[in-house]
Amino acid sequence: MADEGENKEKFDEEAGVSVEEELLLPRDTLLSAGIHIGTRMKTRDMEQFIYRVRPDGLFVLDVKKTDERIRVAAKFLARFEPSRIAAAAARLYAHEPVKKFCEAIGATPIIGRFIPGLLSNPLYPNRIEPNVLIVSDPRADAQAVKEASSIGIPVIALCSTDNDFAGVDLVIPTNNKGRRALAIIYWLLARQTLRERGELPQDKEMPLTIEDFEAKISKEEEEG
Amino acid sequence: MTEKASTITLATCTSCGKPVPPGAEATKFQCPNCGEIIIRRCTKCRKFGRPYKCPKCGFVGP
Repeated sequence: MADEGENKEKFDEEAGVSVEEELLLPRDTLLSAGIHIGTRMKTRDMEQFIYRVRPDGLFVLDVKKTDERIRVAAKFLARFEPSRIAAAAARLYAHEPVKKFCEAIGATPIIGRFIPGLLSNPLYPNRIEPNVLIVSDPRADAQAVKEASSIGIPVIALCSTDNDFAGVDLVIPTNNKGRRALAIIYWLLARQTLRERGELPQDKEMPLTIEDFEAKISKEEEEG
Repeated sequence: MTEKASTITLATCTSCGKPVPPGAEATKFQCPNCGEIIIRRCTKCRKFGRPYKCPKCGFVGP
């Protein structure tokens, strides 16, 4: 019983992780970026990844599960040819992280508006034929998910507490709205994918930093 | 003149266990965790986000 009490003390209330467990990045870095912050809405699909509800009504995601899923997604991505991986980002804050992610692992970025037919229309001259698709938000990138479903390729999605699993084959539970959170998730995913491929040693870091992955805010926007 | 009856064995969906008809908007991919088993998901299971479980490593998705 005494052991149980000690174990409980080592359990962090906010993030739902045991202090002793090793995460891909220090727990404080992940929490300060807010990757565990969800929304005030929750779906039944995402219930399994929710750790608790804050008094202000925000649902908090389990950081340990996010960490696990990043590892699984990286393992999965490492099995595909780099040029056959596509990453879609309709959300503004996901543009830069996706660009850098694709640069790091050699994938194809689909930034901004997803042109209908880009994956499924054989008559479209700029059509791409990926074997796997990563989306930053299944709701914002609904057209990409729909077309991936129609051509039968697996979809990896960054899902917050308000997303559902329709058309998604692998979920990474995370905050998919925050600037810093998106940068960290894509940076981790890129680093872990390179490590799984054997292109980056387990103890080495990527030349690109998390700051490089972060969407830049122009001075005008900052002042405004 | 005996005619041999030819049968087609359809792959089954990992989530619901029903046969996946050819040409359907289904997908197949290696288990994201172990990579040893082929996971097949039929159109409906993808649409409704039904869970699938790897028979080898026990990974539950999506």
